[in-house]
Amino acid sequence: MTLTMFTLNAFYGLALAMNMFIIASGLNLIFGVLRVINFAHGMFYMFGAYITFTVAKSWGAPFFVGVLAAAAALGVIAFAIERLLLRHLYDKEHLMQLLFTFALVLLMSDAAKMIWGTDQYSVGYPPGLGGAVNLGFVALPQYQLFLCAVGPLIAVAMWLLVDRTRWGRVVRAATQDREMLSALGVNVPMVYAAVFTIGSALAGVGGALAAPRIALVPGMDATVINECFIIVIIGGLGNLWGSFLGALAFGFVVQFGTVLAPNWQDVLPYLLMLVVLLIRPWGLLGRPETN
Amino acid sequence: MKYSVILAALGVLGAGSAVAQQPPIKIGVLYPLTGGGAVYGVPALAGHQLAIEELNAKGGIMGRKIESIERDDKLNPATASSTMKELITKDKVDIVLGGLASSVGLAMSEVSKQEKVVYISTVPKSIQITTDKLHKYVFRTSANTDQEGDTMAMLAGRNKLGKICHLELDYAYGNDLEVGILKAMPKYAPDAKIVLTLKPKLGATDFNPFIPQVMAAGCDGVLSGLWGPHFVSWVKQAAPLGFFNKIKWISGGEVGSHEIAGELKGEYPDNVISNTYELWYHGNDPSHAAFQAKLAKKLNTQETPQWAALGYIGVMYTAAAMEKAKSTEADKVAEALEGLSIGTPVGKLTIDAKTHQANIGQFWGPMVKKPDRAYRMMEPAEYIQPK
Repeated sequence: MTLTMFTLNAFYGLALAMNMFIIASGLNLIFGVLRVINFAHGMFYMFGAYITFTVAKSWGAPFFVGVLAAAAALGVIAFAIERLLLRHLYDKEHLMQLLFTFALVLLMSDAAKMIWGTDQYSVGYPPGLGGAVNLGFVALPQYQLFLCAVGPLIAVAMWLLVDRTRWGRVVRAATQDREMLSALGVNVPMVYAAVFTIGSALAGVGGALAAPRIALVPGMDATVINECFIIVIIGGLGNLWGSFLGALAFGFVVQFGTVLAPNWQDVLPYLLMLVVLLIRPWGLLGRPETN
Repeated sequence: MKYSVILAALGVLGAGSAVAQQPPIKIGVLYPLTGGGAVYGVPALAGHQLAIEELNAKGGIMGRKIESIERDDKLNPATASSTMKELITKDKVDIVLGGLASSVGLAMSEVSKQEKVVYISTVPKSIQITTDKLHKYVFRTSANTDQEGDTMAMLAGRNKLGKICHLELDYAYGNDLEVGILKAMPKYAPDAKIVLTLKPKLGATDFNPFIPQVMAAGCDGVLSGLWGPHFVSWVKQAAPLGFFNKIKWISGGEVGSHEIAGELKGEYPDNVISNTYELWYHGNDPSHAAFQAKLAKKLNTQETPQWAALGYIGVMYTAAAMEKAKSTEADKVAEALEGLSIGTPVGKLTIDAKTHQANIGQFWGPMVKKPDRAYRMMEPAEYIQPK
């Protein structure tokens, strides 16, 4: 592998990692606080992409208005789902929650079919991000450079929100002892609703930001949700920087692995997960469950 | 004399009531109606339904109404197998049509063989369906990978490609198309060299591991079997790097269809030569205009998808075979299909009695910009039909 190819592959691995991190971070946040495994997260991602298509292409609004619209719409949808349905399931067993989020997948996929049909869509690159930056020995696509910048920004923003604000302290407390927090006068149900809303809006942003570089088709949620779970699990369930690290591992393994061993491209992410779980069953930055 | 008149009258009456009471002919059909394959499965089903509506308006097949039993194969061979078995045993269908992915077509052919029910493969292209895995009850009305590979090799020769990069999806269709191309290369492009072969997985959305390799290989042309969303994702990721400026992209998988051109619009790259079964703006048969007008009305758009023609042709072949056999029995219908010719919106087709393959062609041509359109069109569109 020449230096040019190595640089390109490293860059593409990073870009893939950041795109996946944006989506997986929301799934991770929701699991960390609510302890709900949200299968519908991939569907939220797909809705994010489709909403961006409608706003940016059908209505002709600027691309970034589409991204904001996707985040807002997913936030509203998620808030409604949490308040009306999901909140009744926190005290139920995990199986009920799994069934519920799986039912959401089916319902939303039918809803998507009714709203957008089964056509294939594409969203153009935002102006100024559709070309490449030539570094002399290698040219890098602008849009992927942009994704490489957005990923860490979101990571830092989430870290500040959860680790450095009063509200974040409340959220962290909610994962520890919900009843005590409630006794102290905190409106715990609204904290849960806010976390679910933010996490789902992140899936919407992830879909919106992925939209210019892929074809939008029904079923685009399926692979993404698997890959998000892999990232969250290898990072350590509920751990923000774990997900970031997990996404990086995922991005580099998939990029370099597919180049070097193309016949293994289907199983690479699963192999990565298997190896991590054998060595650290609780994930890269997770902690073993004590109780 | 008197008796015979009465008997004859009774016979007529009997026949009349028998016709009225005759149960409908059941046509089972599988297309992917959810997930990624729905992009093509849904329009193919629309053509299928259009044909049945037309036939029923004229009294059905042999005077019997047609009932269409439609199922989702989810682009999954295992789902297709079990659903098709259910159609046969529970719904008692007389024939099964459809499938989209080659892997699904092969699975459906296997069920057809076991259950002794005729299956017409209306979209799947894997050559194995009409060669290694051929049996009495399977027929194909779409093109196949040998035919597509032959044309792609011919175009490689015609465009004087020297160094070729070869891209195929890693599943039945891609692997069989590769074989078809390699078989035909010595005939049309003896001096061309395939310097790189890459096989992304079916359903891939991220082509970044592959794009730099193709760009570094210094090919003057790419032979590609990346269809639909795969092609679109490749274009979106490769175009910012100037990928299409110097490379001729010769592609199977119908990326020359209006569905792709109309969606990518200004983002559709230069230097693409591809194929499509049908074009709403260009026909090769007088009956095409009427077919296209009916389809436009049904789908409520002038710019109709090409896949509908395949669904339509499958039903029309079913009707012609049952009328010829004067029966819905699988053995008789299969015999009737052998060597059967019918008129279709893309011209007269004949199913070969030995290979069970219809001689359907495809339109091939470069995708060019039009000053008065937002999307590219195939021009000139050359109809290439196997001999």
